Amino acid sequence: MLPILRPASALRAAATAVALLAAAAAQHGAPAAADGWWAYRPLQRPAVPAVHAAGWVRNPVDAFVLAGLERRGLMPAGESDRHTLLRRVTYDLTGLPPTADEIAAFVADASPDAYEKVVDRLLASPQHGVKWAQHWLDCVRYAETDGYERDRKKPFIWRYRDWVVDALNADMPYGEFLRKQLAGDELPDGKVADLIATGVHRLGIWDDEPTDREQHRYDDLDGVADTAARTMLALSLGCARCHDHKRDPLSQAEYHSFLGFFENLRPQEANARAVPVDGARERFARELADYEAARDDATKALRAAATAAWDAMDDAGRMAAAGKAIADVVASYTGERGSAERLIDEVAGQDGRNSGQVVQVPGVRGQALRFDGDDHVTVPRVVGGSFSITFFVRSERRGAGSGNDTRWFTGTGLVDGEVPGIVRDFGIAWHSDGRVVAGVGDPETFVASGPGHHDGQWRHVAFTRDQQSGRIALYVDGTLCGEATGSREILDAPKDLTIARMHPGGRGFVGDLDEIEFHGRALAAAEVAALAFQLPGGVAAAAAIADLPAFAQLRALRRPDFETVEVLAVQEHGGDGPEAFVRLRGNVHSKGPKVPLAFPALAGGGAPAQVVPTPHSSGRRTALAQWITRPDHVLTWRVAANRVFQHHFGRGIVRSSSDFGRLGDQPTHPELLDWLATELLARGQSWKALHKLLVTSATYRMASTFDDKAAAADPQNDALWRFDRRRLTAEEIRDSILAMTGELNLERGGPSVYPPMPAAVLATASRPDDAWGDSPPEQAARRSLYVHVKRSLAEPLLAGFDRADTDASCPVRFATVQPTQALTMLNGDFAQRQAQRFAARLAQQAQGLDAQVRLGLQLVTQRPARADDERRLLALASDLRRDHGRDEAQALQRVCLVLLNANEFVYLD
Amino acid sequence: MASIRNGFCGRTRREFLWQAGGGFASLGLTDLLTRDGFFARRGGVAGGSSSGGSGEPSGPLAPKAPHHPAKAKACIFLFMYGGPSQIDTFDYKPKLYGLDGKTIDIDTKGRGGSKNQGRVVGPKWRFRPYGECGHHVSDLFPHVARCVDDIAFVHSMYADSPLHGSAMLMMNSGKILSGAPCLGSWVNYGLGTENQDLPGFVVMLDQSGGPISGAKNWNSGYMPAVYQGTVLRPSGEPILDLALPDGMTPREQRRLLDALRAQNEAHLAARPGDTDLAARIQSYELAYRMQANAPEAIDLADEPAHIRRLYGLDNPRTEDFARKCILARRLVERGVRFIQVYSGGNHNDHNWDAHGDLVHNHEKHAGDTDQPVAALLTDLKQRGLLDSTIVVWGGEFGRQPTAEYAEGTGRDHDSAGFTMWLAGGGIKGGIKVGATDELGYKAVEKPFHVKHLHATILQQMGLDPNRLAFFHAGLDQRLVGTEGAQPIRELIA
Repeated sequence: MLPILRPASALRAAATAVALLAAAAAQHGAPAAADGWWAYRPLQRPAVPAVHAAGWVRNPVDAFVLAGLERRGLMPAGESDRHTLLRRVTYDLTGLPPTADEIAAFVADASPDAYEKVVDRLLASPQHGVKWAQHWLDCVRYAETDGYERDRKKPFIWRYRDWVVDALNADMPYGEFLRKQLAGDELPDGKVADLIATGVHRLGIWDDEPTDREQHRYDDLDGVADTAARTMLALSLGCARCHDHKRDPLSQAEYHSFLGFFENLRPQEANARAVPVDGARERFARELADYEAARDDATKALRAAATAAWDAMDDAGRMAAAGKAIADVVASYTGERGSAERLIDEVAGQDGRNSGQVVQVPGVRGQALRFDGDDHVTVPRVVGGSFSITFFVRSERRGAGSGNDTRWFTGTGLVDGEVPGIVRDFGIAWHSDGRVVAGVGDPETFVASGPGHHDGQWRHVAFTRDQQSGRIALYVDGTLCGEATGSREILDAPKDLTIARMHPGGRGFVGDLDEIEFHGRALAAAEVAALAFQLPGGVAAAAAIADLPAFAQLRALRRPDFETVEVLAVQEHGGDGPEAFVRLRGNVHSKGPKVPLAFPALAGGGAPAQVVPTPHSSGRRTALAQWITRPDHVLTWRVAANRVFQHHFGRGIVRSSSDFGRLGDQPTHPELLDWLATELLARGQSWKALHKLLVTSATYRMASTFDDKAAAADPQNDALWRFDRRRLTAEEIRDSILAMTGELNLERGGPSVYPPMPAAVLATASRPDDAWGDSPPEQAARRSLYVHVKRSLAEPLLAGFDRADTDASCPVRFATVQPTQALTMLNGDFAQRQAQRFAARLAQQAQGLDAQVRLGLQLVTQRPARADDERRLLALASDLRRDHGRDEAQALQRVCLVLLNANEFVYLD
Repeated sequence: MASIRNGFCGRTRREFLWQAGGGFASLGLTDLLTRDGFFARRGGVAGGSSSGGSGEPSGPLAPKAPHHPAKAKACIFLFMYGGPSQIDTFDYKPKLYGLDGKTIDIDTKGRGGSKNQGRVVGPKWRFRPYGECGHHVSDLFPHVARCVDDIAFVHSMYADSPLHGSAMLMMNSGKILSGAPCLGSWVNYGLGTENQDLPGFVVMLDQSGGPISGAKNWNSGYMPAVYQGTVLRPSGEPILDLALPDGMTPREQRRLLDALRAQNEAHLAARPGDTDLAARIQSYELAYRMQANAPEAIDLADEPAHIRRLYGLDNPRTEDFARKCILARRLVERGVRFIQVYSGGNHNDHNWDAHGDLVHNHEKHAGDTDQPVAALLTDLKQRGLLDSTIVVWGGEFGRQPTAEYAEGTGRDHDSAGFTMWLAGGGIKGGIKVGATDELGYKAVEKPFHVKHLHATILQQMGLDPNRLAFFHAGLDQRLVGTEGAQPIRELIA
């Protein structure tokens, strides 16, 4: 037995740990132990204990465990055989069974570091993150819908799941892992991935139709803060929401102080945001400067030509031009005249009706109309055949919608006639990231500009539509943004149009509009340019510029765009967070005393040294993250080390892995826990280092053999006298079945998939036809991490085997045994189908029933087949053929069903 | 019928709970510490030797002693999803007729938000007195009306939310926040189940689909999944995956199960002392028995003609709900503890959510259910089962006396005052408790929250609502909330 951890490196690690703690203590002042409870004592590195049976010790983990056993007069169980060990470690590190080749290679490898090589291979496998992400996702309530009546999808939340997988695969240092989730949006040089990490705060249940909106917002914040406290600090913080904690020294005021770090978060919302991909903003800024320079050059030339032409005209010519300019204008809302109720049409008396308080502000010419989000104007729909709608717009806000879905009616209405359904409607909207989009209905046809117009500058917008050709075109600042061919019918829905809001309702436009004109024909590009650049003579100036090279240059210009990615992440209300108050009895409407931002005293307490606002957020979560990830934090590192231990040994050193307080359990090995916590710090906060340390220990390699004497003395195996046998998790069961048939698709990432859902389960949904999706077979065979998590509709196999309920944080899953599990595994469509495919695989890979049964046994148990098992299953096959009229293929299918139901398949020694 | 890491035998309760993996700790288990016999002490499978043989109930669903002698062994909850209008059904408000069409000052809160004025929609049906108690019932329920002397009406119910999503969760789990176990889960957690071959908490849904939030309405939340409701279909395959796959005969399946059992016992023999492995072997035998027994429970072939007539099973209009009500009775007879039957599913007028045409909506749903509901009470009574079965009728809230829209008879939701009724299981008959204001909007006399209704049901089933607790997330969680609630004493005989 070679020690895996060489003495030199162990010493180095120990020295580093001690040095780190000393440095941290010097910097921050050692945190005070609040009341002597073990979990709040300063983290100190204990000495590795001396043991009698030193030969058993492979690394310091074993010394701590053996010292405990020796104290109780117990002996560690013997070492597991290679098949058992490989199966155990492969499941623990990747959630999958070892393949036949992997088994053969390990069994044949006589080198002393054969096992260590296996561990390195598994830790390097991208499937490692898929397995361990699930443990984290259980803690943070990962689900992909909101729950409640509509149980809406949380759009693009799967990017957060992928972020966790990637972070674990990359072995992101644990402190960074926490900091990015807590406050990745506040990082000065934040990447899109850092923003995605904050999706953790968007995972909770969310009632979009709450009975008390403000209270529900606090319920959500409570979920966010409580989940963070339980998951990162094993602190049952939520218990102090309505009153002081019953058992731990945690007051209601401290709860609300802690909540204050999250209080500036905006409430959950239905839409994801499209954010520029990394580097896109810089690229966009460069390209935009080039574009604007070229456009300005062209404009200058056009203006000069138009001015020269205008100057050359006599009065009659100018009169004619002016007449031409207004000849086709069917309504014009210049904003110059109006009243509180009406918006005056300067041309034909088609006045609009104001709702809200539309006010006048200086505009492009004279007065413009200002809208503050609650206002809109209703005007008659004076056009429907061929037409153009032109106006100037100015705003600093993004519109609604996302860059990946630029259908006009998903934006914020500018001039809109949207009518739900397949109808002949049209509209122009202010969209995500300062885009302008427009479109017509039946069939839905859209044109969209690039982003970035929300810069507070006046922009000219023109939307033209030619009925005969069906061509629609959108121009911003005289530049064509897009054109498409749509309906050739009269667009006759609805009767009125709405300005500054979507026609059916919703949030209004915030910004200014000026010179809104409806023209009775599709303007030509040169006419649009004449209006956009306010050339003398209006549209008539088109004649003077249409043939110029500068105009050709202008037409060739395209405003740059940038690539965006949709994320569901946090947003704050701005740089100034609200003050925090105690909310009596947890009721948001019962304001108690004001409380400062502060950390719970039991874990060191104090206020953040400084809270530095960012341009868009308060900086509070960054301050919290800095405190939580302090190297001398009494809880963070113990909690992390315990969680890693938990999922290797089936239980934590502290069994209540999210409650280290007095309502939780005491550690079975307190020194080992502290040693592991300091080791985690010393090894660069690397979970992978901790994994390796734990799974290469002699403790981990013990057999799960029962021992009467030890069981009598320690029935709960508190002292770790053997390895605890465990049932596979729900995900491992489903993934393993797919692995047996060879169908398992190991592809990672992306939107979740929808394996077939039994019709009987769909019928329990309030909208059975719309409750679940449909993935192609190879996608439905993805690993279970990628199965859509819908709060109101659980996948029956996974739910049956105790997948976490996602409404609350789930640090420890149940492991139930129920007859309904047996029904699913015997009669369910999935089990039946997979048994069929398993049989087909065996028939393909082995000749004759004997060999097929033997191969099946080997695949399922990942050990050599035993003669008695073979005999039993062959007898079954033979009986089925003789007494039940089955052919060989059918008999093999049933043998496979038995194999997939075997305890040996579902339990890990 | 189920086991959480079976094998409580020989271990401390705390250890048992830890093996269940739920994050329990001893301090929170006030109930366990204060009451003997909470978990069955009979060990079904001790060690590996008696694996799967006895079928003796054990584990979390084994029958458990109640806190106090139970009045009711079973509960049938007839859930009128969508919210039936109290003032058109059982809460007689004569003054409202004269106000029909008049706009009055009234503060209401519903789906349409808070309002301070509304156009009264007078009750659309005539009320008549019935029975010895003379309780007024509308013409929507001519059959139920004849049972009023067995019924206790609570006219002063109120709930925390007038919106379906959260209100459904409240009526089923006591909380407007998703994630708490439902009433049926609490009952099974507290009492276990009498019949190990059937689920202890059964839900029958409407033909049109489940209620909104689906499975959350019968979920066990933070409790293990053994306590969640099982959806029972009234015909065909009653429970998911209960039916044998196409082409498999019961005899063949038995042969298969024998091979599986032999395989698993050989595996267990090399792993003595593992009760989990033994429990899993036993779970296949239980599943096998469920396959035989559950279809028998839903097979109405042996119901005589007069019973079919009584429930309206031969009338296409009432056939569906009649079938479910007969099934509810059959399940009670077979020891199922908690049965929930939904009238209404899906959205809009598929349930009692009468926002548009009140008359059309309520005529439909009342007409579909009146006779079966009355028959259920009559039938339980004639079999001597009503004394030990508590029947509950109601929705997640009621409806407002004023119109929701400028035109039409539709009513918005009303959680400030609504009616539920109970019968049997030690509940007084022929009484009414509490009252709404004279317009029927708000509970003004003896208002009772949903948690008082829950407390009453638990109390009648032998459980102290303020002691029945489950430790989760650092708290002793209770169905009636941490502050507790007393049963509605006026109801209890």
